[in-house]
Amino acid sequence: MARMKRATAPWRQRWREPAAGLLFVLPMLVLFVVFRFVPALGAVGMSLTDYKISGEWEFIGADNYSRLVGDPVFHASLRATLVYVAVYVPLTVVLSLATALLLNALVRNVGLFRGALFLPYVTSFVLAGVIWLWVYQLDGLLNGLLGRIDVGPVDFLGDTALVLPSLAVVSAWKGFGYSMLILVAGLKAIPSEYLEAARMDGAGPWQRLRSIVLPLLRPALFFVLVVETIGAFQVFDTIYVMTGGGPTRASYTLVYGLFDQGFRFFDFGYAATMGVVLFLIVLAFSLVQRFVLDREES
Amino acid sequence: MTIAPARERTAAAATETRRRARPRQLWLSGLLAILSLLTVAPFIAMLIVTLSPADEPTVPYAWPRTLTLDNISTVVSSSGFVRWTLNSVVYSVVSVVIILLTAAMAGYAFAKKRFPGRDIMLWSFIATIMVPFQAMLIPYFVLVSKMDGLDTYWGLIVPTLANSQAVFLMRQFIRGLPDELFDAAKVDGASEWRTFWQIVLPLTRPILATLGVFVFLWHWNDFLWPLVVAQSGDMRTLTVGLATLHGEDVPLAQLMAGATVTVLPCLLVFALLQRYLVTSIATTGLKG
Repeated sequence: MARMKRATAPWRQRWREPAAGLLFVLPMLVLFVVFRFVPALGAVGMSLTDYKISGEWEFIGADNYSRLVGDPVFHASLRATLVYVAVYVPLTVVLSLATALLLNALVRNVGLFRGALFLPYVTSFVLAGVIWLWVYQLDGLLNGLLGRIDVGPVDFLGDTALVLPSLAVVSAWKGFGYSMLILVAGLKAIPSEYLEAARMDGAGPWQRLRSIVLPLLRPALFFVLVVETIGAFQVFDTIYVMTGGGPTRASYTLVYGLFDQGFRFFDFGYAATMGVVLFLIVLAFSLVQRFVLDREES
Repeated sequence: MTIAPARERTAAAATETRRRARPRQLWLSGLLAILSLLTVAPFIAMLIVTLSPADEPTVPYAWPRTLTLDNISTVVSSSGFVRWTLNSVVYSVVSVVIILLTAAMAGYAFAKKRFPGRDIMLWSFIATIMVPFQAMLIPYFVLVSKMDGLDTYWGLIVPTLANSQAVFLMRQFIRGLPDELFDAAKVDGASEWRTFWQIVLPLTRPILATLGVFVFLWHWNDFLWPLVVAQSGDMRTLTVGLATLHGEDVPLAQLMAGATVTVLPCLLVFALLQRYLVTSIATTGLKG
């Protein structure tokens, strides 16, 4: 009996592990195929059609892409997104770097301050939008304070020049805690001997920051920069809640435009094309990150 | 003989640094206190307005003289608030459970099993990190509507389950577990499923907890997908509901009361698990 059992063993043994592996992966594999790979191909496919919400469509080649190139609304949304990114990213990086440096230099109560600074990060962008909408209103919190020193009222969200910076402040407030934590971890990894040696050599705090801390923090800073940039290109929730893309499309960003084309005009083919453009932008930044990190490693 | 003076010198230097550092620490604390206060100020203002009685003029710059829960009870009893809360709980909790289970299974297979196509599968999973959700919004919507999933719980939940960060994290963690454990289980004749259930899951508890917190926050705070899937008022999650409340012009105090209720679970998670969140962001770069 024992012999016979053993005789079948090698065959079963050979298949047992691969079969088990496949079975364990199977649920996730199905999810990925149906809800990641198929939609990814679908996005590219749909961008080549005039897909309508009714489900009717015709192949129209690259028409959507040439329409994008000539579409002034798309140009405006691209410009709005770039302005937003250009305000949001430096603001967030400076804010998270400053707070990370302060936290790193602090000896006591680090947890308390870190907690307070990190708090907005665990909340939603919708919540941030609802609160800050009231902060920014003409009769809101900020204008109330400004009124006490006889300034304003400032129409933060109604002014075409102010709306994007105002939105960037909301996202920076909500999001800088994440980058702060990444940078604190990066600062902790800098050997204290380096700083001690520089101090012995008479280097001041500013000099130590510039010639030791920042160069050694570069990988972490770079990571933060890329992650925040990619995130900024996808801004949507706060705009939906706070401005609806206005005033006069001043905050009509890429994803807001995609949503608008898809769910107000039901022009799915065109909206999918904007999604492909968004993907290409994010991909470019991810590739730059990979490229730079690989080069630094070698 | 040569070591002692050196040690004395460092000790002296250390005391000197500490003496000089004290006023600097005060400065730092002061500056951080101001920044922290500015950061939490919007939340405090939200709380003040929420807890202020309706007849008193809203003065968010000072703590109200009398506190009331009227605004909260009004907003909770009105509209579909209870239903929205239930939807958010279902969306978040069901997603956490399924993602943890399937990601642990896939992570175990990728880390410890050999099977055809393993590496291609893993890398194609990871590559999807580069595709932002918003870029695929339209095909997702079309796919789910073709499957009759609009305005249903499964249509809301299932498309968010293919989570590459979770799979990758589980795979990295399980790879660090010693092979001997699994060999021993095999020698003992344990079935594959039992090995997973009794060895993999208990040993990955810390990473499962971390991942669970993140997945919960992702879903609780998610907006765009619930917004497009929910066709009827009954299927809105709290974030979508809050955005609608704001659109419906409810009084500020009730809007802020709604916001306060929405954020409570996040604050609870934050209060209980801050340390977890902080260390896992620092070590894995998980982004919420």
